[in-house]
Amino acid sequence: MGFDTSIKVLIVDDFATMRRIVKGVLKQLGFSNIVEAEDGSAALSELKKDPVGLIVSDWNMPKMSGLDLLKAVRGNASLKDIPFVMVTAEGQKENVIEAVKAGVNNYIMKPFTPETFSEKLEKVLGD
Amino acid sequence: MSQGLKPIGKQLELMALEVVTLDGEDIQSLGKIMNSIDAIEGLSGQIDQPVFRRLTGAVKQYLEKLILFEESDVAPLEEGVGCLQDIFRAASREEDFKKDMGPLLEKLGPPDLTPREENVKETENHDSNENVQNQDAEEIQELNEEDREILSDFVSESLENLASIELNLIDLEDDPENLEAINAIFRPFHTIKGVSAFLHLEKINKLAHGSENLLDKARDGDIKVEGNVVDLVLESVDMLKRMIQGVEEGLRNGTALERGLDINPLLDKIQSFISRSDALSGKLLGEILVEEGVITKEKLDESLKEQEEKPDKKLGEILVEERSADPREVVEALRSQKKFGGKKPLDLQIKVDTKKLDILVDMTGELVIAQSMLRQNETLISVGNQKLNQNLNQLNQITSTLQKTAMSLRMVPIRSTFQKMVRLVRDLAKKSGKQVTLTMGGEDTEIDRNVVDELYEPMVHMIRNAVDHGIEEPQTREANGKPANGSLQLQAYHRGGNVIIEISDDGKGLDRERILEKAKANKMVTDEADLSDSEIYNLIFQPGFSTAREVTEVSGRGVGMDVVKKAIEKLRGRVEINSTPGQGSIFTINLPLTLAIIEGMVVKVGEERYIIPALAILESFRPEKAQYSTVKGKGEMVLVRGKLIPLIRLDRIVGTKGKYQNPWEGLVVAVEHEKYQMCLLLDELLGKEEVVIKSLGENLKHIRGLAGGAIMGDGRVGLILDVAGLFEIAREDY
Repeated sequence: MGFDTSIKVLIVDDFATMRRIVKGVLKQLGFSNIVEAEDGSAALSELKKDPVGLIVSDWNMPKMSGLDLLKAVRGNASLKDIPFVMVTAEGQKENVIEAVKAGVNNYIMKPFTPETFSEKLEKVLGD
Repeated sequence: MSQGLKPIGKQLELMALEVVTLDGEDIQSLGKIMNSIDAIEGLSGQIDQPVFRRLTGAVKQYLEKLILFEESDVAPLEEGVGCLQDIFRAASREEDFKKDMGPLLEKLGPPDLTPREENVKETENHDSNENVQNQDAEEIQELNEEDREILSDFVSESLENLASIELNLIDLEDDPENLEAINAIFRPFHTIKGVSAFLHLEKINKLAHGSENLLDKARDGDIKVEGNVVDLVLESVDMLKRMIQGVEEGLRNGTALERGLDINPLLDKIQSFISRSDALSGKLLGEILVEEGVITKEKLDESLKEQEEKPDKKLGEILVEERSADPREVVEALRSQKKFGGKKPLDLQIKVDTKKLDILVDMTGELVIAQSMLRQNETLISVGNQKLNQNLNQLNQITSTLQKTAMSLRMVPIRSTFQKMVRLVRDLAKKSGKQVTLTMGGEDTEIDRNVVDELYEPMVHMIRNAVDHGIEEPQTREANGKPANGSLQLQAYHRGGNVIIEISDDGKGLDRERILEKAKANKMVTDEADLSDSEIYNLIFQPGFSTAREVTEVSGRGVGMDVVKKAIEKLRGRVEINSTPGQGSIFTINLPLTLAIIEGMVVKVGEERYIIPALAILESFRPEKAQYSTVKGKGEMVLVRGKLIPLIRLDRIVGTKGKYQNPWEGLVVAVEHEKYQMCLLLDELLGKEEVVIKSLGENLKHIRGLAGGAIMGDGRVGLILDVAGLFEIAREDY
C-alpha cells in the first residue's frame, strides 16, 4: 500500500458500533495509532490536544456535524492541512457536494469494503 | 470593461488554472472549481448573454458528476471552462458570441430538472441488497468472535437509540417544525441504516432506509410530523426493535439473524405517504411565485390544472415551458421554499437549573419583605419627605413586577404532559381492541413546573381507567347508537387562580347502583342516606374501593382511584368526578397555579396570626350558645346544619392563649380534609391573602400541623396551618 500507516488517525462518529467498524477496517489496512471522538466538538478538542495525520468523520452527528467539523478544521490555521475523509450515507449526493465545496480531501459512501476504503486513502495520503 | 464583469473574470481565471492542473480524481481541486462556478453563477446576471448562464449551469452539473464519480473524463470540463472564457471575453468587448454551443452542451450532459438520481439510487439499492442477501446466506454460520461482538454492540446501541426516538417525538408533536427534534429522530434511523448495511442485515437496512426517507421529507419541510407521520414513525420504531431483538436472539441461539417479519406492508405505507407529500409540495412553489408577483393567481390555477393532466411534470417546468416564468425566478422561489419552507423562527431560549430558579424566587420573596419593612419603618415615615416616598413607591412597583416575573419563570405549558398521553392512549386502545380518538385543548395553559411532574402519574392512571373501563368495545358502542370510535378529551384552563384539568370520555359512565351496593357492603355509607349522584360517584376515590375488583370491572372505574386522589391532594388540589350513564364521565382536577403561593385565610389567635389554606375551609361563623354542646367521650361539638362536628381549640394546639374561650364569643372556622370535618375555634378573621410559602427549614420541617411559613405584608412571619396534620393531632388529643 502506498501510504504511511504509522500516522495517527481520528475517527469521529456518534455511533460506537460504526466507530468500531471503521477502526476494524483501518486496522486491517495496517493502521494502529487510532483515536476516537463521538461528535464534532469532541473531535475538535481532541485535535487541539494533539494533532493527527488523518481524520475520518461521519456526516450526521449531534452537537456538531461532520460538515461543521470540516469547516472548523479548515478554518483553523494549525489544523487546516490535515487530510479529511468524510463518511456519508449512500444517496446523500447533496451532502457530498457540500463537503467537497468545504474542502474535504475525499469522501466514502456507506457501506464500504476495506478495498474501497484503501483506494480512497491511497488518493488522500498517497505520494 | 464594465466594473461588474471584473469579479467574473477573476473567478474564471482561478478556475481555468485549477482545471488545467487537474489531476484525475483530485476531490479538493474539484471542490475549489465548484466554489468558483458557484460564484460565477451568482454573478452571471452581469453578462448579457443567456448562453453564458446556460453553459455555467451545464459545467456545474458536469462537475457534480465528476465529484460523484459518475463521469471520469475531465476533457468536457476543460472545454466548457474554455468556452466560458471565450463568451466572457466577447462580452467584455461588447460583442455578440456566435459559436454554436450545441455539441458542447451535449457533451456536458442534458440539463435535467427531474431528479433522475432517485431512480439511479433505487436500482443501486436493489443491486447491493441482492448482493448482501447472497453473502448473507453463505456467511450466516461463520460469524467470528469480532463479528459477534460488533453485532451485539449494534443491538444494544440501536435499542438505546430507538428508545430516544419516542421522547423526541413528543418534542416534535409540540412543534412540528423543530429541526433539532427532527434531526434527533432522523439520526438513529440513519445510523442504523448505515451500520446494518455493513453487518448485512438486509431487512433492517431497508426499513431504516424507508423511515429515513420519510423523515428526510419532514426535514425539508415537505411534510409535518403529526398524526399519521408519528404513527408511521412509531410503527417503524417498534418493528425495528423487534427485528433487532431478533438479531440478539439469533446471536444467542446461532440461528438466522433476521427473523421472518414482513416489512413490506409498512414500507408500502411509508412509500405511499411520501408520494402523496410529493404531490403536495408543488403548490407551495406556486404560492411563492404568486407572492413574488412573478405569476398571477389565475395563472397558477391554470397551470396547476395542467399539472393534474401531466402528473409527471413539475409545476416549475410547466411555468417555464409556457414562458410564464423565467427559470431563474423559479429557481429563486424553489430556494426560498427550501430555506423558509414554513419554518418558524426560533425563540431564543436557554436552559436553567431549576434549583437556581427556586433560589431566585426565594430571594425575590425576601426582597419583597425587605421592601415592605422599609416602607413601614417608623423613622422613614416620620421624615415625611415627598421624594423619599416617591422612591419607595417606585421600589415597591419594581419589586412586585420582579416577583411576578420570577414566579412566571417556574411556569411551563401543560402541553408536554398532555402529549405524553398520546402514545399511552394509542397503546391502550390497541391492546384492548378499542378505537379511541384523543383530542386536547388548552395545551398552552401554564402550570408550575413542580406540579407538572407530579401530575403525570395520576393522569396516566385516570386515562388508563377511562380507556380500559370507560370506553366500550366498538361493537357495543355501535349497538348503542354511538360512533364506533370512542372519544377521550383532555382539556386544561384557568379558573379563578386555579388550573383545571378535565379528562372526559364518552364511554358508558359509572354504575351508580353498583357503587352504592359496594359502598354499603364495605360499610362506607351507613344506609340509604340521601347521597347525591355526585357524592356516590366520588365514593370511588375512597381507599376501600381499591380492592373492589369485581365491582369496578362492571361499574367501570375505581381501581386505585384513592391513589390518584392522594397524589392530587399532595399538590393541594382536588379531584372530582361527574358521570352520566351511557354518555360518559368527566374527571376534573383542580390545582393551584403554583406550589409557591397559597391562598389562605389569615386568622388571629391570641397574639399570633395563622394562615388556613382556603381550599380546606368550608365556612366560618359565630355559633349560637345553643349550637355548642359537649358529648361524652367525644369532647366538644358544634351543631352545623343538623350535623355534629367536633370543635378544636386552635390556641391549645398551637400552644398560645386565645382571647375568647367561649365559642359563642369567638369565631369558628369549619374545615374539611378527606371527608372529615372539624371546627376550629379562634379569635378573629383578618382576611383572605395570597402568601408566598417559605419552608421552615430542615429543623422545623417535621412539626405536625404546620405546612410552612409566610411573610406577611408587615414583614412579620405568619405560620401556615396544615389541616391534615391538625386532624391527626386532634384525633390523638381528643
